[in-house]
Amino acid sequence: MRFKATVYVSLKRGYSDPEGETTARALRGLGYSVSGVRVSKVYEVELEAESREEAERLVDEMCRRLLTNPTKDDYRFEIRERG
Amino acid sequence: MKRERITRREVPFPLYEVDLAGAGDEELLEIKEALGLGLSLEEMRALRDHFEGLGRRATDVELQTVDQTWSEHCFHKTFKGLIETPEGVVDGLLKTYIRRVAEELRPDWCFSIFEDNAGIVDFDGVHGIAIKVETHNHPSAIDPFGGAATGTGGVIRDILGVWADPIACTDVLCFGPLDTRFEDLPPGMKHPRFLYSGVVAGIGSYGNNMGIPTVNGAIYFDEGYIGNIVVYCGCIGILPKDRYFRDVKAGDAIVLAGGRTGRDGIHGVTFASAELTEESEEVSRPAVQIPNPIEEEKLKRAIIQIRDEGLGSGITDLGGGGLSSAVGETAHRYGLGAEVELGVVPLKDPTLAPWEIWISESQERMLLAIPPKNLDRAMEVFEEEDVEATVIGQYTKRRRLRIFYAAHIVADLDLGLLFTPPRVRRRAEWRPPRLQEPRFEMPPDLTETLLSLLSSPNIASKESVVRTYDHEVQGRTVIKPLQGEYSGPNDAAVLKPLPDSWRGIVVSCGMNPRYGKIDPYWMAASAIDEAVRNNVAVGGRRVALLDNFTWGNPERPDRLGGLVRAARACYEIASALGTPFVSGKDSLYNESPLGPVTPTLLITALGIIPDIRRAVTVDLKRPGDLLYLLGETHPELGGSEYYRLMGFLGLSVPKVDAVKARETFTRLTEAIDRDLVEACHDLSEGGLAVAASEMAFSGGLGLEVDLGAVRVSSPMRDDLLLFSESNSRFLVEVSPDNASEFERVMEGVIFSRVGRVLEERRVRFYGSAGRLVVDASLSDLLEAWRSTLR
Amino acid sequence: MRRSEIRVLILRVGGTNCDRETALAFRDLGVEAEVVHTHRVIREGSLPDYDVLVFPGGFSYGDYVRSGVIWAKLVEAYLLEDLMRFVEEGHPVIGICNGFQLLVELGLLPGFEGRSPYPEAALATNASNVYECRWVRLKNVNRGNCPFTRSIPREAIIRMPVAHGEGRFLFPREWEEEYLERLYEKDQLVLRYVKPDGSFAEGEYPHNPNGSFHDIAGICSPEGNVFGLMPHPERAYYGWQLPDWTRMGRPPEYGDGRLILEGIVEYVERRF
Repeated sequence: MRFKATVYVSLKRGYSDPEGETTARALRGLGYSVSGVRVSKVYEVELEAESREEAERLVDEMCRRLLTNPTKDDYRFEIRERG
Repeated sequence: MKRERITRREVPFPLYEVDLAGAGDEELLEIKEALGLGLSLEEMRALRDHFEGLGRRATDVELQTVDQTWSEHCFHKTFKGLIETPEGVVDGLLKTYIRRVAEELRPDWCFSIFEDNAGIVDFDGVHGIAIKVETHNHPSAIDPFGGAATGTGGVIRDILGVWADPIACTDVLCFGPLDTRFEDLPPGMKHPRFLYSGVVAGIGSYGNNMGIPTVNGAIYFDEGYIGNIVVYCGCIGILPKDRYFRDVKAGDAIVLAGGRTGRDGIHGVTFASAELTEESEEVSRPAVQIPNPIEEEKLKRAIIQIRDEGLGSGITDLGGGGLSSAVGETAHRYGLGAEVELGVVPLKDPTLAPWEIWISESQERMLLAIPPKNLDRAMEVFEEEDVEATVIGQYTKRRRLRIFYAAHIVADLDLGLLFTPPRVRRRAEWRPPRLQEPRFEMPPDLTETLLSLLSSPNIASKESVVRTYDHEVQGRTVIKPLQGEYSGPNDAAVLKPLPDSWRGIVVSCGMNPRYGKIDPYWMAASAIDEAVRNNVAVGGRRVALLDNFTWGNPERPDRLGGLVRAARACYEIASALGTPFVSGKDSLYNESPLGPVTPTLLITALGIIPDIRRAVTVDLKRPGDLLYLLGETHPELGGSEYYRLMGFLGLSVPKVDAVKARETFTRLTEAIDRDLVEACHDLSEGGLAVAASEMAFSGGLGLEVDLGAVRVSSPMRDDLLLFSESNSRFLVEVSPDNASEFERVMEGVIFSRVGRVLEERRVRFYGSAGRLVVDASLSDLLEAWRSTLR
Repeated sequence: MRRSEIRVLILRVGGTNCDRETALAFRDLGVEAEVVHTHRVIREGSLPDYDVLVFPGGFSYGDYVRSGVIWAKLVEAYLLEDLMRFVEEGHPVIGICNGFQLLVELGLLPGFEGRSPYPEAALATNASNVYECRWVRLKNVNRGNCPFTRSIPREAIIRMPVAHGEGRFLFPREWEEEYLERLYEKDQLVLRYVKPDGSFAEGEYPHNPNGSFHDIAGICSPEGNVFGLMPHPERAYYGWQLPDWTRMGRPPEYGDGRLILEGIVEYVERRF
């Protein structure tokens, strides 16, 4: 079965996010009353797996092994089956 | 237009034929429109006559090839054309004013100039230094990050294109004022601040990722850049002179290496018009190229390896015009022809038509000529570096360009036709602007004026930008763009290219766009003087120059008039200074709804220093040392930052007395070689007061200067003495022990002792009547200088 | 071991770009230094032929995903066994800048209990949010566990440049204090950013250029022979590379970066 996983990686709460802060400042400079910006990275992963459970397990492993550094990153993902 | 003029040929891929026979002017223009060509009517007529003579139809591939080869970007028609001026006809600006300097000076250290992708000068007898500066204005205006990054990537490939290993980058950028009001921008125009941050990030990203230090540059702000930003990217490389392989023979393989070919950078309007395509293809084709510095880093490694093993016979980069110009130009250069099979070119997108593959400007690609006996090894090198490389054809004895796709011939062009486009003839007339010298009271508090000048955007510290560029990678940077603890502004960068030699190169630049609003001649003269004196100030000599013109539409006589004047100054001043041009590039047609770009000439100077341990920096070194001002001060503030601050543009543009300037430069070099100079700074925007302040806060030491001691051509007011921008001047720190020897070396040059270095961290200027006219603390001066672009 | 017999391996991949000057600096010390592509070392299994392994600076694989991580995973997938044996035998493994990022992503640093399968620390985006190239002052705070800084007097201040966009050393927030204690306990702290007066930067910009936790610029493994640092010793090797050598008349022969590379070479001379 073919799946498409969308993985969101962002800094854990409580860590300063310089890119987000800089972006927020720039938006405020443009006159928007922005109270904060958090930046995440999105990966779209296409993969084959026996089952949805299997796909979830694989993507979770990918997140832990490469896509995030658990010291500072949080992640979540959504999985869709592809025809 | 009769529809049958453009027909699809019966082949299993998109290929169109164009029947030019007997086409009238109107039809020619329609054809040009339908194919999205940039050719002029006269050029279309020449093509019609050519294909009528052959008695056959032209293919889209052929017309696109001619369109690229004859474009202003590739052929520099204006600089090579005939120009009618009120003083007579100029037969080629490039030939008459730029190349001629070297032709007359005949320097034996110029190794290859105006021939190849970059100019090459001798370094130490064994090695050559290659240098090139490019513009990337239009792409950067559309996509500031990508445009600036690919501008850097492109000029790095120019250096690889002469078999040189890139060792430094430069960048000079011009933007509209960062405080421009959004309401004042025409709809769709991007704000200077957005362009500024994107361009700066793009340049840094490419150079940093490739591991090439960005060591010199400038950032300039002017209203004339709101609609047209200017992005100059330069690169310098080193090569052993006996590795400069350019000996391509018939039978040598044409190898395309690097990134894949896609739709990047293919010109706007195309076949997308409905009556020509069966399926309605996507309309917009990206004119912007996507940067991938890591691909280029690998490509660089492979090319240097191939060079070191002596496997190639020729090389060129793929820039404007893509394969069409790279293959055509190399074949033409070596007196050969070429046969190319487009079907084997690795693609990012399989739907590309042959003509698109042929003119695509996808980044990170190089073209190499490899003799058959070396081919296997060369391909092995590419594989080791993980770089895709493909043999796409070979050079031939027959001087024709024969292009195939899936074994069908899609173009068969005579190289003679390609490289003899009809010469353009343009008219030029410069009219002096209606300006007058302002009359105003001297401001009561000149300390305040100095602080305001230090914080004006064109003078203020660019540290927040410079530090985002890695200027130390490769470990060769001897004099850095920012000096020491306080990050003072050094006049030039010094690099030590070879591990086992103290010999160094010196890189500097000069640019005075505001002077051009008064007189482009003196703008050009000033830019040359500034570039050279920046070089001399740190210890450079034997200076080679590069010219980069950014101008408006040359078909408008007023725009071209200014360009001709500036080019004439290039010849006259550079000749008198003994500094030949070795490379250059022009970017014309920089026009926007707000009008033409502020005409801009960037002069880049490349000098050498025999021993880098003698290089001089801007920072004051020791209390008690003496300060000398070299050169003469005139009331020349027409285009000065001082007048701008006061809201004026005057007439008194700074001039250059090149004979005197050359003498000053020579003597200063001698003083530096005798170790008599502790610190040195050239006087430019903001004049003496700004230069002195920069030297003071860079060294963390104070100074005092007596304006009465300044050598002048006529008596001047204190404010004019402080802020005049007269050329060819330096402020020099000399230890009292060396004073008499220094004065002896300077004999015959206009100079005077104007002050001394203080322990106390203040800058003081005493005016004509002995009155204290400027008195500021270093911390106030430094803060003013640093605050603007933080 | 004689100095001339020492072989330094400087590994690279696409995007590595400080290999050349690193090799030149080592060669100046009288050892053999080779720059070799990681693929070739994997293919030829040649790591055991060397005495020192250096992961130099650069933008390996464009620093996509996170700085150094793709290179780290390449090493993990194909070179780990040889590398771990190399480390266990006590050979120096040095990571400079991108190389430090790699060692952290590989779990070799801080490596409290040997290599951890997941990173125990991170080198995050600079607090300033920009790439930055500048000289910094560093204090040698190691008490002797790191053999490479032994020739630098304890508490001495040295100068080297940094040039990076992701150099903010972080621990997981919830473990911060505990991990720091462990660093002290096992004497793993090596270099910390300081102000011109010699006091710790306490996070103050630009003395601490990236906002690193506890002003950390370089750490070593509990055994001391794996060492990572953000500053570039190879760019501070010669006196003429100093940012203010013109204030000293002629440049001194060497800069402080040499002390570190020399320390590595001396360690190999002593130990093997």
